[in-house]
Amino acid sequence: MAEDKKKLFDERLGRYQAAIALEPTDRIPIATGSNYFAEVYSGNTNQETIYDPDKWLQAELTFCRAFPEVDVLRDNRIWGPLFDAVGLRMYKLPGRDLSPRDQFQFVEAEYMKADEYDQLIRSPIEFLFDRWLPRILGDFEKSGSIRSYMAFLKGGMAQSAMGQIMRNRTMVLESEMGMPQPMAGFFLAPFDVLADGMRGLTGALMDCYRQPEKVIAACDVLVDEMANLALSTADPFKRWPIFVPTHKACFLSPEQFDTLYWPSFKRVMEILIGAGHTIRAYLEGDWSRHWHHMLELPKGRVLCDIDNEGDIFKAKKEIGHHQCLAGGIKDPQFILGTPEEMRRQVKLLCETVGQGGGFIISGGCNFPYTTKPENFRAMIDAVMEYGVYDPAVKPHALPTQAGDIKAFNYPKMVTPWEVKKAELGGVMGNESLIAEPWKRLESMAYVWLWQWVL
Amino acid sequence: MDELVQALRDLNEKKVYELVEERIDRGVAAVEIVKACNEGMIAVGEKFSTCEYFISQLIFSSEILKHVMKRLEPLLQGTAGGPSAGKVVIGTVKGDIHDIGKNLVVTLLRGAGFEVVDLGVDVPAERFIAALKETGANILGLSALLNFTYTEMKHVVERVREAGLGDKVKIIIGGAPCNEQVRQFTGADYYAVDAVAGVSMCRQIYG
Repeated sequence: MAEDKKKLFDERLGRYQAAIALEPTDRIPIATGSNYFAEVYSGNTNQETIYDPDKWLQAELTFCRAFPEVDVLRDNRIWGPLFDAVGLRMYKLPGRDLSPRDQFQFVEAEYMKADEYDQLIRSPIEFLFDRWLPRILGDFEKSGSIRSYMAFLKGGMAQSAMGQIMRNRTMVLESEMGMPQPMAGFFLAPFDVLADGMRGLTGALMDCYRQPEKVIAACDVLVDEMANLALSTADPFKRWPIFVPTHKACFLSPEQFDTLYWPSFKRVMEILIGAGHTIRAYLEGDWSRHWHHMLELPKGRVLCDIDNEGDIFKAKKEIGHHQCLAGGIKDPQFILGTPEEMRRQVKLLCETVGQGGGFIISGGCNFPYTTKPENFRAMIDAVMEYGVYDPAVKPHALPTQAGDIKAFNYPKMVTPWEVKKAELGGVMGNESLIAEPWKRLESMAYVWLWQWVL
Repeated sequence: MDELVQALRDLNEKKVYELVEERIDRGVAAVEIVKACNEGMIAVGEKFSTCEYFISQLIFSSEILKHVMKRLEPLLQGTAGGPSAGKVVIGTVKGDIHDIGKNLVVTLLRGAGFEVVDLGVDVPAERFIAALKETGANILGLSALLNFTYTEMKHVVERVREAGLGDKVKIIIGGAPCNEQVRQFTGADYYAVDAVAGVSMCRQIYG
């Protein structure tokens, strides 16, 4: 990497990390998690973003040149061919099921029945293979058929191809643009695993009333699974946070949240923080009755995105002294507002929520696709004018946080090496040369199965 | 307060079903049972307005109501389902396939005695207009979750006005990305901050 790009990368990352850690830095970072605007700013369609990695990358390089003040740009997104290879039913994709300029959309349905909790609780992996995967992966519908074997073979190959695409993106964004990422790796709150891709919102809510003990038991079982998924997909250098979108908490009453949602979610986050990671949590919808719980987690480790329906000024008062906040610009301001209104809003945010640090300028969890470029420019200019703390501070990336994983046997596998070794009756030569790749492939495949929860 | 009204208000699911069965056995007219359920749903809405209930309770109440209505359906056939509070055409606009919020509004409206024509999701302007003409409804509800639908909502409002329905039909928009600024942009008559507010607006419009 060229020296100037290296320096830029270090400075941007340092600024972003300082905000998350509630430490002093030079200015408010411009760091949304999902920069949809960057994907289409150059004129690309949404279909091109998910089906044409080269066009996607070129689009974002164009964006980076036009808006060099932006501090991070997201990497890992959907790659359409992977979804097609397995016939994933949970998404409608632009260019395939939707017009090329529409955004991809989640198809919520009852992919798990109300009476299937016991199997999920007893053996999550068995449940995935017997019940859930055949329902969500169209090509695996007839488990045991030739097509179902092909689905898994293609799915694994597509996953490798996607990994290569994303690695290339990371490399180019880093070396040519000095651009770090807002997050890497992902997981869901255990309740959201149920309420998104398994039971759906209505089903999960009915379960909360009709069989709450099963919901709690299932969430408990999902703690290790989600921690495993998150740790396996996170940045190994822990430079940026692990991503968790919290989809269904906003529908729950405080009492339901406290008993059904929070305990297992908190445990996953404690495992990740204990392992030295930070977390970026999209607090979707209005979290004002729930977000006080973020005070229970270590200070400066969970970046909270405040959504359009949330009140960021209230959030600053209630949790802003303990966790970093991102947000402040509502969707209509980006899409329908004027540059002057944007300038006023950013000024207000810098003078209030931005005070004392721990604030990142963003939209309600993203920069929208249909953002007017002049509004985006006005936002950046206003941050440069009102969002500077101390130009003398030179941000630098923080050292990697130490940590360990004690809570469970990480990484998870279906067939651990010990089982395989016993089947082989021991090995003749250097065991680790055989065992390490075995474990790596086993754990990669295990993660592959669980990634579909998101 | 009537026991059934109270049971529904308190989300006592089992008791609601027991009371409905007991009333059917006693020969109480289905229309009367529906009336009690409507009252119960209004009481649930009130609890939501005062922040005693949250969306999860609204959804639960609407699922209980749906179950009861399914049970009563055969008994209601051939009888008028009680006086109509008015007709509402509703749908999620073109380009958006989300329907949790819209479905909730539909059930609450039905629970409040409205006749609802639910056009589903991804609904183009022409279908809204055809349904308004066909039913003579005075209210059109446009729902959305995704923020790129602002221009589509505006398009629907313009087309409804062009079709000469503008004076008669009031248009309400709702959904997570909506606010007053979005209402002004689209030219809609009202913006409903949540499902219960939307139902109150419909009552006022027809009131």
